[in-house]
Amino acid sequence: MKISKELIEKYHLGECDLQESKFVEEWLFSEETDQELELPSHENKADLKTQLWEEIQQVLPSGLPAPKAVPVRMLANKSSKIIYWASRTAAILILGLSSLIGYHLYFTPDDPLGLVSINNTSLLEVRHIDSKAYCISLAPESTAKINYQTGNIDFSGSIIISPKKDIELSIGGSEGKMTFKTGQTYIAMNGKSGYDRFILINERNLMDLPPVLQKQLINKFSI
Amino acid sequence: MYHPFKTFLLPCLLSLFFCSSCHQNNHQDLSPSKKKYSVYILGKDGKEYLLETDSLNSGSLRPEEKGALLDGEVMDRDVIVHKGYYYHLSRKKASFEKYKLNGSTLTLLAAMPLKDFSIENFNWVSKDTLLLTGLNKSDYTQVKYILVNTDKMLKVSAGDINIPRPSGKFTSVSIGFAELRKDKMLLGYTYNEQLSSSNYSTSDTTYVSVIKYPEMRLIKTDKDTRSTSPGGTNTIQSYSFNDEQGNYYFMSCPGIALGNRPELPTGIFRINAGQETIDKSYFFDISGSIIQNHAYGIWYLGHHKAIIRSERKDLFKGLSDHYSTAHFEFYVIDLIKKDIKKLALPLDKGTRRECVIVKDNIAFIAVNSTLNGNYIWLYNISDGTLKKGLQLAGDTDFIMRADKLN
Repeated sequence: MKISKELIEKYHLGECDLQESKFVEEWLFSEETDQELELPSHENKADLKTQLWEEIQQVLPSGLPAPKAVPVRMLANKSSKIIYWASRTAAILILGLSSLIGYHLYFTPDDPLGLVSINNTSLLEVRHIDSKAYCISLAPESTAKINYQTGNIDFSGSIIISPKKDIELSIGGSEGKMTFKTGQTYIAMNGKSGYDRFILINERNLMDLPPVLQKQLINKFSI
Repeated sequence: MYHPFKTFLLPCLLSLFFCSSCHQNNHQDLSPSKKKYSVYILGKDGKEYLLETDSLNSGSLRPEEKGALLDGEVMDRDVIVHKGYYYHLSRKKASFEKYKLNGSTLTLLAAMPLKDFSIENFNWVSKDTLLLTGLNKSDYTQVKYILVNTDKMLKVSAGDINIPRPSGKFTSVSIGFAELRKDKMLLGYTYNEQLSSSNYSTSDTTYVSVIKYPEMRLIKTDKDTRSTSPGGTNTIQSYSFNDEQGNYYFMSCPGIALGNRPELPTGIFRINAGQETIDKSYFFDISGSIIQNHAYGIWYLGHHKAIIRSERKDLFKGLSDHYSTAHFEFYVIDLIKKDIKKLALPLDKGTRRECVIVKDNIAFIAVNSTLNGNYIWLYNISDGTLKKGLQLAGDTDFIMRADKLN
């Protein structure tokens, strides 16, 4: 599956199936920008770059010199195709960017998106999942399923919850909901098997945790 | 238009001016605080305060009125309180810092870089020489030390101590105590095993190594399997002491909050004066006594008596409520006769706290009671009576530590 304009449109209309939604969300949350636009096989990337630069140069003040490294070649017969691809690239980029901004601005627990699933496979990096009500930081080698509608957070590994307003959440399969207060930071740990314990503490009580767990959290989250 | 003076030189001059004025301020306030005690408070809204007082005997103090509001980013309760000053390693800045409390402001007096160091234990070698033993911060497997001149806040010496790194299933080291004896340092430690994000275990063995001081070279190692997790991080709570004859006592803490080997007993070990190995004929089994629980924290009262703080496993569910539920009890124990007497204090909360100050004939005990508030209690060592003293009121949720400042 690839990220396309159609898929993003479909996602925002709420017409994606579970697999497609998950794929789009992973792309939206991903901090990596390795998604590149693929050109049709008959198009040459270097030629297109040159042509685009020429188009730009025409509207630039005449005093500015042309970049020396770029060879100037006339490809008049391809200009319409280039404009077509350039505009498509720009449209997809703008759409992607606006989706991301839109997500940050309007994502609330009532958002119809509902379930978000994240797997942080990185060995070092912490991943941050932001919403209007709270931010979740996911430690390396941790996974989380966040249901923004029910306020249910299911996870394994370690997470930090930073509420932006007082909010009730149900976390780690614990019975009932707990109030998470604005301005406070909460640390939760959960093992990968049922045998392991679920631990939830306020960050201010970090020193009360067993030192072995404390040290692990300090390094994972750089706190 | 680009103007080099406005854009570059002016800000430089301004910052130079401000830096020099800060510097001058620091110079004016270098003298140590003359107050007798300091109290570290965790407030109900997560704010933290430090306050100083000359008396713990009576009255009431509100940290939001009398204390300094602390910056949680740089200060935490693993602070070393000594002769009017506060010393603290800022994890984020990797800097070891010296502070003084000026009314409602905690002032940074001096700082020195301390990279890749996690403090496990501290010892005052002399009034201005501090020995820190710790671990490398990247994976907590290498035992390290640094000797600091706290007057000038300069490194005297530093390096690694060749304690074997964890091997096999073990993933990290925990130093429980470091005791200096002339040209030797006795280092108590054990190895830990990280099982998952929320679970861990500890070796069943207590190790005590003899280190040549100040060369910091390993001479020999003694092992004991009667209990594990000897002592703990003494910047947070006390786990050991010397009696009047120079016999060294330390408590093992295998309960869930420290070693997580709850099947082993919490017990008190002794290294006799002049000896370098654990006295195999002495062991005070706390968990096997009438207490029937694990304990963390021990404070010496003198004349072979000590106070210990033990948990109540019937009152908490796990680590999530171990610190927030009031379940801790205080006992006075006799180290020789092995007598145990429970103190009639309200149940206390907070997993780890530096909460006992012994001065002359009085033990000041800080108790955080959910029902009865936060008080310093006065235990009269000679007649065994208890009296309620200073109240920490207002925003106080936990008295996190109480220290003798002078």
